[in-house]
Amino acid sequence: MSFSIEVIQIAAYLGAGISVGIGAITTGIGSGLIAGEGALGVMKQPKSSDQLFRTMLIGQAAAQTAGIFSLVVAMLLIYGRSDTAEGGWFKASAYLAAGIAMGLGSLGPSLGAGYSGGQACKSVARMPKHGNAILGNMLIGQALAQTSAIFALVVAFLLLYSVPDQPAGISVGRIILKTMAFLGAGFSIGFGTLGPGTGIGYVAGKANDMMGRFPNEKSKIMRTMFLGAAVSESTAIYSLVIAFLLIFAL
Amino acid sequence: MAKKKRPMLKIFIIFFVVEALLVVLSGNFSKQIQIGFDKGKFVIRNIEYEYNLQDKITEEFQIDEYFRQTGETPEIYGSEKLYEFFKKVFGEKSAIGSFQLLRMLLIVDLLLLFIALSIRKKLFGRPSKPQILFEMIYTSLEQFVSETLGKDKVHYTPYIVTLFIFIWVSNLIGLIPIPGFMEPTRNLNVPLGLGVFVVAIVHITAIKVKGLWGHLKNYINPVKNPLFLLDIVGEMSKVVSISFRLFGNVLGGAIIILVVSSLVNFVVFPIGLSMFFGIFVGTIQAFVFTMLALTYIGVEITE
Amino acid sequence: MDLAQGIVKAAALLGAGLCMGMGALGPGVGEGFVAGKACEGIARSPENASLITRTMLVGQAVSESTGIYSLVISLLLIFST
Repeated sequence: MSFSIEVIQIAAYLGAGISVGIGAITTGIGSGLIAGEGALGVMKQPKSSDQLFRTMLIGQAAAQTAGIFSLVVAMLLIYGRSDTAEGGWFKASAYLAAGIAMGLGSLGPSLGAGYSGGQACKSVARMPKHGNAILGNMLIGQALAQTSAIFALVVAFLLLYSVPDQPAGISVGRIILKTMAFLGAGFSIGFGTLGPGTGIGYVAGKANDMMGRFPNEKSKIMRTMFLGAAVSESTAIYSLVIAFLLIFAL
Repeated sequence: MAKKKRPMLKIFIIFFVVEALLVVLSGNFSKQIQIGFDKGKFVIRNIEYEYNLQDKITEEFQIDEYFRQTGETPEIYGSEKLYEFFKKVFGEKSAIGSFQLLRMLLIVDLLLLFIALSIRKKLFGRPSKPQILFEMIYTSLEQFVSETLGKDKVHYTPYIVTLFIFIWVSNLIGLIPIPGFMEPTRNLNVPLGLGVFVVAIVHITAIKVKGLWGHLKNYINPVKNPLFLLDIVGEMSKVVSISFRLFGNVLGGAIIILVVSSLVNFVVFPIGLSMFFGIFVGTIQAFVFTMLALTYIGVEITE
Repeated sequence: MDLAQGIVKAAALLGAGLCMGMGALGPGVGEGFVAGKACEGIARSPENASLITRTMLVGQAVSESTGIYSLVISLLLIFST
């Protein structure tokens, strides 16, 4: 197959666009959810508006982590790639797949983190006295929801930096095979983090909500949250395994 | 109003300072920083670490593959004689990977042994701070065990506590920025071994409680459960999910730290990031692993 | 490897990726819903904590079965075509 260096550039720029474009959708929605609940909370408890404001801002910053991951991947795709003709179709498809992986991969986690932060704001408005415990639980829950975004980031980094150059004199069938394998890895981890991210966000949100209602049961709620989030993550882990196999094992 | 105490903040600052000192003292990210123009671009970079990120990732995470591709003899950071022995046992091509892994496992084990012996030496009398920490871990996990398995099954506690402390220390040891130090859990073999043993113990316990036939009845019953073959796959996927969860998180942290330090041209070491992944993620994953092991056992026992 | 063979295998690999990705979507949300409701239940009646945890784990294991089917199919697509 004839190859020109522009193909790599096209793939990288397309990947960068997909990464930030799709990744930003739910980052916005999630931050909006937190701000909405925060505003509602200020209406209910004008006295503790400082605390609510702080919780809201920290929650929004944490919910945007996955969006920042996709920004980093896009920046690396634009400025941090190697444009050599030796890269060939392997590099082109790997760059596109990295963008897809991170773009789709940050959809679920940001939505989940946003829901979790929103419920935390609601809880703080209900029980300002336990605000610090709720804030801590919110941060832990958001970090759990973003574990799957970290998996997507790892796959994107591996696609960016550990895919070898295309060997010379390789058959066309082999080129198509590898190209599709990289794209498949991107799709696998990209879609695969969508469900678990949202699900873990729901778990963390419910935990935050209940912490505002029954603050005495803090340790039991947190333990259930850890366990439930860990089990919900298992399908994201299967996707990670499939992505690793598609990148390395063929 | 009295000044509020913030123990977590204090601990965090102490950790930060200690890690920063270790980074400076170990000479891992050292002196040779170049500031100036290169090919018309303004650059700040560390001259000692000039390499391709792609090669570095292969070297860090697939050391055997790197060795096979380049044929370079890697630094082994350890006893030469032992490495020669490994070469004889595992063959030249996969000696370095297993050597690295077993060296780190040995370090973790010796560290745990040292802590245990030093605590045991002055067990009676005024408790020291490490003793309080480990007793806290033990009692809280014992409480979890007695809640999940029932009061008469508390003898599972030592296994659960050992699992937790081993994984926890293994994850934390990556914080020490000495060249060649890595978390043993970063190598897939360690989490996979732990996971296989967890599932094996779950089934042995189930057979002990319900008897062999009573346990097998759940799986081999085509009338009640026509998809029983997939249940067996589900049991295997328990091993995959429990071990890859630990492995993926630790490996992800390591890759992200490496890529970020390469983005800043190895001028500074991302201490905050390394602490997030080492302390926060490491502790949570150790906890999650042990809690999952405990509840897998609990589901089989109490029915 | 000739062209037709390569294209067939390539389609299988892309299918494996899409299969695991899409297949992980539903179970993830579902298991999260289970765990969220379990959190709520434990907060409301903490004395039944171990019972609720067990129900949660069994329920999640059942909801995960479609995820495991996807895993099996993707592994088959990767290794047996």
